[in-house]
Amino acid sequence: MDKPVRRVAIFALLLFFGLMAQVNYVQGSQAEDLRTDARNSRQYADVFNSPRGQISAGGEVLVVSKETGKDNPKYGRTYKDGPIFAPITGYFNGNATQVERAYNSLLGGKDTRITQQRWFDTFIGKKAEGANVELTIDPQAQRTAYEQLKAGTAQGRRGGAVVIDVKTGAVKVAASWPSFDPNEVAPQTGEKGGKRLEQLDKGDGVVKPLVDNALSQTFPPGSSFKAVVSAIGMQKLGLNSSSTVNTGQLILPESGRPLPNSHDSGSCAGSAPLRGAFAESCNTSFAKMALDMGIQELHDGSSRFGFGKHVQLEPDMYAAESDVPVSIKDAKGNTIETGKDGTARSGIGQENVRATPLQMALVACSIANDGKIMNPYVVQKVRAKDQSELYNASPKEFGEAMSGDQAGQLEDMMRAVVSEGTAKNLAGRRVAGKTGTAEQGPGNPNANWFVGFSPVENPRYAFAVMVEAPGSGASNAGPVAAAIMAKVLQK
Amino acid sequence: MQSIGDQIRAHLPYQRRNAASLALLAFAMILTLSAFAEVGLARDGNIPGGLFVYGGGLAVLAFIAYFFQAKFTPYADPLLLPLAVALNGIGLAMIYRLDLDTSHDRKVAAAAGRKLLPDAADAPGQLMWTFVGIALFVGAVLIMRDTDKPDAPMSFTPKTAQRYTYLIGLTAVILLLLPIVPGIGAQINGARVWIHLGPFSVQPGEFAKLLLVVFFAGYLVNKRQAMSLIGKKVGPISLPRARDLGPIMVIWFFCLGVLFMQKDLGTALLFFGLFVSMLYIATQRVSWVVIGVGLLAVGVFVATLLPFMGHVNQRIDIWQNPKPYFDGGCLLDSGKVVPVNPDTDIYKKYKAQGSVSPGFSACAELGGEYSDSAQLMKGLFALGQGGVLGTGLGQGEPWRTPLSFSDFIFDSLGEELGLTGLMVLLLIYALIVQRGMKTAVAARDPFLKLFAGGVSFVLALQVFVIVGGVTRLIPLTGLTTPFLSQGGSSLMANWILIAILVRMSHDARKPAPQAIQDEGMTQIVSTR
Repeated sequence: MDKPVRRVAIFALLLFFGLMAQVNYVQGSQAEDLRTDARNSRQYADVFNSPRGQISAGGEVLVVSKETGKDNPKYGRTYKDGPIFAPITGYFNGNATQVERAYNSLLGGKDTRITQQRWFDTFIGKKAEGANVELTIDPQAQRTAYEQLKAGTAQGRRGGAVVIDVKTGAVKVAASWPSFDPNEVAPQTGEKGGKRLEQLDKGDGVVKPLVDNALSQTFPPGSSFKAVVSAIGMQKLGLNSSSTVNTGQLILPESGRPLPNSHDSGSCAGSAPLRGAFAESCNTSFAKMALDMGIQELHDGSSRFGFGKHVQLEPDMYAAESDVPVSIKDAKGNTIETGKDGTARSGIGQENVRATPLQMALVACSIANDGKIMNPYVVQKVRAKDQSELYNASPKEFGEAMSGDQAGQLEDMMRAVVSEGTAKNLAGRRVAGKTGTAEQGPGNPNANWFVGFSPVENPRYAFAVMVEAPGSGASNAGPVAAAIMAKVLQK
Repeated sequence: MQSIGDQIRAHLPYQRRNAASLALLAFAMILTLSAFAEVGLARDGNIPGGLFVYGGGLAVLAFIAYFFQAKFTPYADPLLLPLAVALNGIGLAMIYRLDLDTSHDRKVAAAAGRKLLPDAADAPGQLMWTFVGIALFVGAVLIMRDTDKPDAPMSFTPKTAQRYTYLIGLTAVILLLLPIVPGIGAQINGARVWIHLGPFSVQPGEFAKLLLVVFFAGYLVNKRQAMSLIGKKVGPISLPRARDLGPIMVIWFFCLGVLFMQKDLGTALLFFGLFVSMLYIATQRVSWVVIGVGLLAVGVFVATLLPFMGHVNQRIDIWQNPKPYFDGGCLLDSGKVVPVNPDTDIYKKYKAQGSVSPGFSACAELGGEYSDSAQLMKGLFALGQGGVLGTGLGQGEPWRTPLSFSDFIFDSLGEELGLTGLMVLLLIYALIVQRGMKTAVAARDPFLKLFAGGVSFVLALQVFVIVGGVTRLIPLTGLTTPFLSQGGSSLMANWILIAILVRMSHDARKPAPQAIQDEGMTQIVSTR
């Protein structure tokens, strides 16, 4: 009987070998597939099991993770003044947006910069704690911007504001109205949060709360785009601020209809130096410049300012693409070229020209910074829990949009807008810039812009403010910008 | 030629290995105490009080067991007790770790005024059953006397076994039948294998398993000569006589019938493998294996055709292709699987109507067979989460696995201990089985050989069926994972199993009795 016992013993061993092979197959080869299987809720729930890092700005802690007392999610997310800072922080509910998304691996403690440093914790299976992110945002100015936009925007419409440090590109303000409260969709809200998110995503009319109006939404820039056209004109047509330009009536070549100016007096009476036409925002001069250069030149020239690109603020955090289109596709997919009339209207920031407030702030940045645009960024530092520095932003040049001399002339032209042009109402408020009042079709309020820099004599910050409201850039956007800049300059 | 058993016996050192056993036991305790410490450190950042209650309690019990083993079975195999203690300790630590979570759930549920969780990890209960199990181990070691003293009470000698063979067989059958008796039987998680005894739920099948080994060993010892020699030869295989086959077939069909009615394919498979292997050991005839496997194949095929055996069908479908069944799938006659999970409209419809099992109702409307692979898949997800090194005890999320403390405890351990930990666990099982097989080979008596071989194989098969099930090597069937799963019946039966092996290894390894030396002149008795 020993022989069959031995055979049964071998058979039993084979059973164990079978099990070992299968366990190796499942935990070795299949593990990755299992972890990422769409049905596997662990991968979504796992992110709620360790505290995420904090997000702070100007020494003020804005976003923290707190224990919920539940097993899932174990940690929630609390946003201080959620709607005010949402355009930068974004939200986190397993999925994430903005900084919550761009810095997900650091905030969640999964980044190799943390795990390499804490390799022993990783080895013993201890979860590394998320790192803390410090924003470039000036929280007080951000609050002011939010309140100002809220007050200045028409019911059911949008407003956005961006302020950039011209020397570094650090974003000081990126505010949006309306906004949403990330607390409402944070992990601890569970299913309710998911429903709220769906509701927010749908939006109401043009208002899409999840889309911030500072970085992620484009508007017709209107006359504020004349700063770009002027710069291109200086380069392509050899103009300077004192060159005489035609400011009288312009008949559009295709339709034969006149392109009006807001007024036919002062500089807009027939001809004037470029400086005057700019200060008083004579449409005809810039439409004519656009016609002289053609839409392709306009398109190419503006791309040096960042048009036609998704400007990258942080890894995996991009702004919406601003554009001066040579042609567009209509709803049926047919290509429609931008004709002569369209080119003329493009020159005054109408037709199909679109820009984000961030993009217009970059335009102002180039003017205030000797033609150089600094790459915008919103995260200054990342520190591990033990305060060791994991990341520190180093300013990078985005590009050179014009020469220092041209920038100096445009700087002066922008000062003229406030001293003698369309924004005289802002005199003495430490801002210079270009107004813009873009029509958005019948029944819609104008997109009112004020794009410029501050302080006036020695610019340190570039800004762009857009509010959709009846009225003009000077009367609506200008004061908003002045109020924000007053707060920024308080430091 | 010497048999293998004789060869082994010739080389056996015939010495007591108690020191080795004690050292291994100490190692097993270090393993267990470390597991408790890790749970505490991972969860609360300190050594938990449970370390002293549970780890300390288990240590005391283990050393008591060791004391009795060393005193009454000094030649016993030194590995069996430490290996069993290590498994029991790791299982206890895991249940303790899960209990921390579920007791948290309980607190939350109580605070919200909801009903407490009906079944959950219960570490104090498991410690109590460990105590009972080890007490049974000690008791069994004491009661089962040396086979050399056949008049000792309940000794496992061929004589006593033969005397009680049919009584033991009958007891096993009664135990198997108990769960389907209305009133005391209970269906838990789709299998009717439980009975209620006062406040306790008992799985009588766990004990029937051991009794069936005794019955078969006793029966086969009597019949093996006839069964292995007599029979018509048809082609390459020789058929057994009807009168040898008859009684086997009776109990065989009976067991299978009962188990199919209880919808417990796992236990059926277990008993079946046991019968076949013991028949083979007893008769050395491959024909028995062929007949056995053939019968099982027919049995399973017939079962899958029966409409009320859909349960078995589903298990096989899910095993082959689990993904479409996640959270509920409906197998249509065309072979197509339609999802009926909570995201589907048809599910929502029945949910809105207040159906107890909306997925099932939805599938009934579609005219298919409803199955849910969520348990299996979630277990696999746990294994995937663990990967090679595991998350570390106390640092995974094993509560996401259904039945993480019982049927799926192997997956829970796989999550937190990883592939490396599971290899260790499987090696421990394999070692116990192989030490048992070695005992069978070394045993002098055919009954003991059969018995030790059968007991060892049933352990191997049980591990294979449940672990193979939760790792998707074979279709999933519910069985306890020996020593690891939460549950009194399983712990008690398996501790008795270890006691039997310990006692038998002692008998097999102890020195042959010394011839009585002359102490003088041989007395000559005159017959005149």
